[in-house]
Amino acid sequence: MGAEADDIIIEAKDVCYTYEEGGPHSLNGVSLKIRRGRKVAFMGANGCGKSTFFLCCNGIYRPDSGTLFFHGRPIDYSKKGLLDLRGKVGIVFQDPDNQLFSASVYQEISFGPMNLGLPEDEVRKEIEQVIDFLEITPFRDRPAHALSGGQKKQVSIADILVMHPEVIILDEPAAALDAKHTKMVNQIVESLAREGITILMATHDMDYALAWADEIVLMHEGKVLMQADPVTVCTNQEALKMTNQEEPAVLRLYEQLVKKGILNQRKRPPVSMAELERYIEDSGASKSL
Amino acid sequence: MIVVDKLCYRSKLRYVNAGEKFVFSMVTLLFCIISRSFLIAAIAFFVNGFLVVKKGGISFGRYIRLLAVPFTFLILSTLAVIVNISRVPLDAYAVPVGTFFITGSRESLWFGMQLIGTAMASVSCLYFLSLNTTMTDILDVLDQLHCPEIMIELMMLIYRFIFVLMETASSIMVSQKSRLGNRNLKISIQSFGQMGAGLFIRALRRSNALYDAMESRCYDGKIKVLSVQHPVKKKEVIMIILYEFILLAVWIGGKM
Repeated sequence: MGAEADDIIIEAKDVCYTYEEGGPHSLNGVSLKIRRGRKVAFMGANGCGKSTFFLCCNGIYRPDSGTLFFHGRPIDYSKKGLLDLRGKVGIVFQDPDNQLFSASVYQEISFGPMNLGLPEDEVRKEIEQVIDFLEITPFRDRPAHALSGGQKKQVSIADILVMHPEVIILDEPAAALDAKHTKMVNQIVESLAREGITILMATHDMDYALAWADEIVLMHEGKVLMQADPVTVCTNQEALKMTNQEEPAVLRLYEQLVKKGILNQRKRPPVSMAELERYIEDSGASKSL
Repeated sequence: MIVVDKLCYRSKLRYVNAGEKFVFSMVTLLFCIISRSFLIAAIAFFVNGFLVVKKGGISFGRYIRLLAVPFTFLILSTLAVIVNISRVPLDAYAVPVGTFFITGSRESLWFGMQLIGTAMASVSCLYFLSLNTTMTDILDVLDQLHCPEIMIELMMLIYRFIFVLMETASSIMVSQKSRLGNRNLKISIQSFGQMGAGLFIRALRRSNALYDAMESRCYDGKIKVLSVQHPVKKKEVIMIILYEFILLAVWIGGKM
């Protein structure tokens, strides 16, 4: 107990959820613990229940059975309890067109903080800050329907950021984005993590998850198949195959290099291309000596 | 409609306070309709044209083409007033056709002119507003005028989702075309129907997803948002008041 229990921000115990009564379970007994300030990647085949679980996390869906805890307390589904929870757990949805309801960027961003009941001038200040931080200024006066996919994504992140949540959930933030905007989103996520915000991110990009995450939650058919550090998950061939994932390219390359005796086995496998390059450079230097 | 939407975001008068523009166009519109004076209509028509083209920066050709749409309708409907078929020739003109005359009286000719003038001036008032003011700004004005909230919220959502829906429809159509969905009339009618059905289902799904997304940002049944403020400028207000007084003076002067 004590310090570690305090540190757990979201906990799920045996959470089940079904969309239609009598239909297949979308969540089939999810149990997991998320520690505060961690970067957690949620992975798994399409339809494995990632998005459903996310919607449970801020009380949009109420589990049929099982319990979700936020800061150690079961979620309170009263009106006030939900308002409180949703102010602290924000979701950036996958398709910005499902999230942006107003044609005006400014109105759109103001929606969350206004609902939190903040005074008007404070909301205006917050909006300016977030517009500045996410580099929305060049298109802030354009209507939502004239924005590109990446710009819409920036606005939909601003929507949530402006509410200053403790947990930000991003549902496949890089889906359908070009390289430039993917990089931008990743940078934003990185700076949020540095601020100590807990981040849950659904992604299909194993390479990215390996490099970025503190932890990977691998889901399979509405259950948590495994929750561990990225290297453990990414080297578990059986689990990867079961969930339609592929081993990250950098690990495969590293294994081959070690097998052929080109590279010495390290205590910690590389998690990114840059790291592998460094390993290779180091070993080359030692050989030439 | 889409053209107008695009133009208004580019207008140089876009950031002028929406309330000013609204009052300007509505009061002028009222003057045109109540007075039925050809002179007032002419003044309003040219002033609006000047503001849209010179101040707003919309090209003259574009504006004329936009005006041509209502003008065609007007001409057709005014023909009924101006042109009569009668056995007796009237005082303005008469073209004999067999034992009948295509003819019109001076009075009805004048009336028709007045009708066209008033209608075109009124249209130009509305064009001034819609070519220089974005929909969101207009909704803000309606909100200040205490329009029912439900109406404004609906308009806001509809305005946003017209574009989403259109995009969806056009992407469905493209995918149908790329699979020969418009090969012949029968098939294209079928495709069109399927697109309608698909669109309907997607709209339902989208509305569910949107509701979830709004709820997750603490939506409680009332859309509370803040808008960008464009301050009222004293000089502009004085100009508007002055202009409306001139119209009033012309109207009263014409009556005496």
